[in-house]
Amino acid sequence: MSSTMSYYLLLIPLIPTLVFAALLFLPRDLRNRLMYVSPIAMGTSALISIIAGLTEFPGGPYSILRLDYRLATLGEMPLNLTIDVGPLSLIMLVMVTVIGTCVQVYSLSYMKDDERRGWYFTVMSLFTAAMLLLVMSGDLLLIFAMWEIMGLCSYMLIGFWYKEKAPRRASQKAFLVTRAGDGGFFVALAAIYAACGTFNINDILASAPGWAPWVAAVAALGLLWAAMGKSAQLPLSVWLPDAMAGPTPGSALIHAATMVAAGVFMVARMLPLFELTPFVLTITLWIGVATALFGAILACFQNDIKKVLAYSTISQLGVMFVALGVGSALAALFHLYTHAFFKALLFLGAGSIIHATHTQDTRKMGGLAQKMPLTTVCFTIGAFALAGVAPLTGFFSKDEVFAVIKYASNYPALVLACAMGVTTSLYVTKMWLRVFFGKAKTPHVHEGGILELAPLGVLAAATLFGGISTRAFGDYIGDIGVWPSWYMATISTCVTLAGATLGYLAVRGKFDRFKEPLRFVGAIMDNKLYLDAFYDNVIIKPYFIVSDLLWKFDEVVVDGIVNGVVALYRRLTRLTWRFDEVVVDGAVNGTAAAYLEVTEASRIIDESIIDGAVNSSATLSQRFGTLLRKAQTGKLQTYQRLAIGGLVLVLVLVVVLKGM
Amino acid sequence: MLTLIMFLPLVGVLLCALLPKRFEGAAKYIALFTTAANASLAAFLVGGFTRGGGMQFETVIDWIPQIGMQYHVGVDGISMPILVLSCVLAFLAVIASWKIDEKPKFYFAMLLLLATGMNGVFTALDFVLFYVFWEIVLVPMYFIINQWGGERRQYAAVKFFLYTFFGSVFMLVGIIALYLQTGTFNMVELANGAAALPAFVPFGFQWWVFAAFLLGFAIKVPMWPFHTWLPDAHVEAPTAASVLLAGIMLKMGTYGLIRIALPILPEAFLWFQPLIAVLAVISIIYGAIVAFAQTDVKKLVAYSSVSHMGFAMLGIAAGTATGINAAMAVNISHGLTTGMLFFLVGMIYERTHTRKIKDLRGVAAQMPIYAGLFVFASFASMGLPMLSGFMGEFLALVAAWQGFAAINMQYLTVFAAIGILLGGAYMLWLLQRVIFGEPSEVVEGQKDLNFREIFVLVPLAVFVVAFGVRWSLLLDYVDPAAKAIARAIGLGA
Repeated sequence: MSSTMSYYLLLIPLIPTLVFAALLFLPRDLRNRLMYVSPIAMGTSALISIIAGLTEFPGGPYSILRLDYRLATLGEMPLNLTIDVGPLSLIMLVMVTVIGTCVQVYSLSYMKDDERRGWYFTVMSLFTAAMLLLVMSGDLLLIFAMWEIMGLCSYMLIGFWYKEKAPRRASQKAFLVTRAGDGGFFVALAAIYAACGTFNINDILASAPGWAPWVAAVAALGLLWAAMGKSAQLPLSVWLPDAMAGPTPGSALIHAATMVAAGVFMVARMLPLFELTPFVLTITLWIGVATALFGAILACFQNDIKKVLAYSTISQLGVMFVALGVGSALAALFHLYTHAFFKALLFLGAGSIIHATHTQDTRKMGGLAQKMPLTTVCFTIGAFALAGVAPLTGFFSKDEVFAVIKYASNYPALVLACAMGVTTSLYVTKMWLRVFFGKAKTPHVHEGGILELAPLGVLAAATLFGGISTRAFGDYIGDIGVWPSWYMATISTCVTLAGATLGYLAVRGKFDRFKEPLRFVGAIMDNKLYLDAFYDNVIIKPYFIVSDLLWKFDEVVVDGIVNGVVALYRRLTRLTWRFDEVVVDGAVNGTAAAYLEVTEASRIIDESIIDGAVNSSATLSQRFGTLLRKAQTGKLQTYQRLAIGGLVLVLVLVVVLKGM
Repeated sequence: MLTLIMFLPLVGVLLCALLPKRFEGAAKYIALFTTAANASLAAFLVGGFTRGGGMQFETVIDWIPQIGMQYHVGVDGISMPILVLSCVLAFLAVIASWKIDEKPKFYFAMLLLLATGMNGVFTALDFVLFYVFWEIVLVPMYFIINQWGGERRQYAAVKFFLYTFFGSVFMLVGIIALYLQTGTFNMVELANGAAALPAFVPFGFQWWVFAAFLLGFAIKVPMWPFHTWLPDAHVEAPTAASVLLAGIMLKMGTYGLIRIALPILPEAFLWFQPLIAVLAVISIIYGAIVAFAQTDVKKLVAYSSVSHMGFAMLGIAAGTATGINAAMAVNISHGLTTGMLFFLVGMIYERTHTRKIKDLRGVAAQMPIYAGLFVFASFASMGLPMLSGFMGEFLALVAAWQGFAAINMQYLTVFAAIGILLGGAYMLWLLQRVIFGEPSEVVEGQKDLNFREIFVLVPLAVFVVAFGVRWSLLLDYVDPAAKAIARAIGLGA
């Protein structure tokens, strides 16, 4: 480890963050007027990154900046967010800042008439800053945090024109689909923390071989699932084509330097963990193969220029997953790197074309080569790189992926990868011929201004000359690749040529006669493999129904039980009341009535019998009375006896009460 | 100090009561000054608090010595953050209620009484005192819902009162049973006893007492299937009451479990652990699904509370220090974000007099500041990293995975993670319908937030960001106390 830390590198993400924070609180007018700050800041970051990339020149996997930020302390362990800048981070920093600057400068022209342009730049700044911090981070928690913030930014960027329905739906879809992937990230992080008590990537990778195999598998699968969401792999790819609803330069950023790149980057960082569980690696490979192939095939069936590019992104990300699946982080990252430049170039070029022609349908374009020569040259460079034409960057990076597949001796995958290559070349050729050649179909077409052309030029230059750095890239991050292989280069050139031929024939209408018999294929492709329909009918619509039903259940059953218990209780109280009135009080009243009856009866008895007897005995008692009076001789004695009796009674009462 | 925080609002209640009818408009100033004073006292409390210092600011006065009942208050790292939140939310609730002009004297007196009750619950360390405050809280809340509520306020108020009262009766049985068994009402002593001595209280006895406490607390949290009083109460309650209900009163349940049930009855807790875990996960998913179906914004937020509090219960179910940290983080963060959301719902209701989702549309185009804060609160509530919501939910998942290893229920973590996705679903679906789009008829022409309203929301937003980027601002207070409780249970970190 180098002894001095290059703290100035912190400026790279800090500058756009500050721009975000400053613009966020400004009123709209001021924000719109200050939008120039954002590309200037990004350019400054790019400059710092490039200088760092050239001067630091680490030449090995060590850190030039390590920084721990204590988020909390759990138990005895500090929970840190770690910045750990190695050579890979530096390359990524350069990539993100350069593309970010190009996109933002381009946006100055592209977005100049939008009333919320200031807000657009605010989000762009945060978006780029998050990606910058993500590539600098040394722990999974920071990666995840930035990952999610990019999710938020893509949500706001895709839904930028929120008054319209399509962007609103697309933004929600993008966030939720990637969020579905993030469920895997959550589980993986929980499993990792339980296994080793840290999120630091180096520590995780060091301790992972000692974990129970199923724990490593859960962690790797969770991360893979998350990456599939972010990097739009089948079957979580559905959000990316819809994400076109946002402003085109925003798409350039999402498809190239940020967002989708995060998934591949994260898996590449964690690849040693995947290698512990070979079956996860195999899954990665085949998901990549399927995505690469189907993405390319789907792109052939698109007529919307942005949709073609969107499916090509899905396909190219699949290629990166293939490289990861055969265990080569280098090939994946190099393809990520080159793809970022030429895909940003293609999107920005497409933006200019759309502005000029006012359509996104390639069938309505044509002959643009004469009207927009500079844009045509730049776009052509990007398109050829995508198709894999030597000596553009795309050729080298794709070649490297092919080489690592062959090196892994996985021939089925290699055959399918070649099929993908043919298909890619096909749709690129088709799009290219349709847009730039033939009859001009749109009037008043002209080039974009300098603010649009300059970024295109920069990106085109990078795509044109970047191939030289193929070996240097591996050296820089300290990973020796298996490239070059002349054998693979020959095959891949043949592949590209074959695809181009097919594409030419397709544009000339040579395949039209297959359209009728193969209509069902077209239907499947037009419906995007029915993935959207599947989600709509199997997940989303049932979810609406389930949530409605569950709400009814909640109100009727769960709450019903509560209310039922209360109702039952009230019934019970009424019954008790009745019981009280009828039985308990009845008993009292009955007793009273009975008593009255008894008294009545006794009165009758009294009057008829006793009174009779009394009356008859009255005479008798009169005689007795006379007798008693005679017995009462002395008054004093009688009183004395009464007094003593009373005292005894009181004493007894006192004793009894005390005893209690 | 604590005594002052507890009873200052009560002084306010008396002042309000003494206010002549002619000046009843002054009640809100009394409320404002008392709650503001309380909030400043809370700030001093934080300043004077020693992290990891156990129980602090204790006051012990014999009250009824014959049965060992004391006036015993104090705070530790578990109660202090909630107490502060309670003071802050009460202050903001008063400001948000500024426009109440129906019987203001009674209203603000009740609000202040509520503040006293809530602050008392989180400071009382004597069981009888605790119970008294616990019950005091119900009374003002009943009157606030009953007097200033919506259409079905009678039903909601009675339901709220009876349901939670029903729960607290079981708690009272538990308290008395514990007293008869151990001869003390002192919560600290009981916890220390349980920590020092395994089976301090015999297991069979613990089981029954824990069941009684759990029922009482689960109703308060509320945990599925005891949650149905909550949506009714929230929908009918006026804004300030909703905020305090969700922000503070629900936390009485989780706080009770952490303060009482776990440390005093650890062995019984281990028995109940799987049950709590499963109910927590059901609450998370069930609340999120039902929230998705709602047609009333306020009811949606109410069901989201069921889901969020499920995460707190998940953390508690883990029984580890991380889990208790998680539960506390959810408590605080949910108080902040849901507080914001309820304030926001109240603000749009004041303007449009509707909370129906289908009537509200395109708020962003009409009220950009409102929309910005709404989106912010929504994403905070969804658990976006760097905002406070993430801290609790993430830690709850981490703790669940760790803590449930012993009972072979780690798969519950996966379901809880699905709950996070579903949380995104109902919130985004709400945003798409209410915030974005072309303004609807009732939204058209409405004014954006005024200064007073922004002043209510901004402090909460600041806390949301502060806790989000630096968890230690909260967890450094919580963690030592959480560790002490986890040690008592014996499940470790």
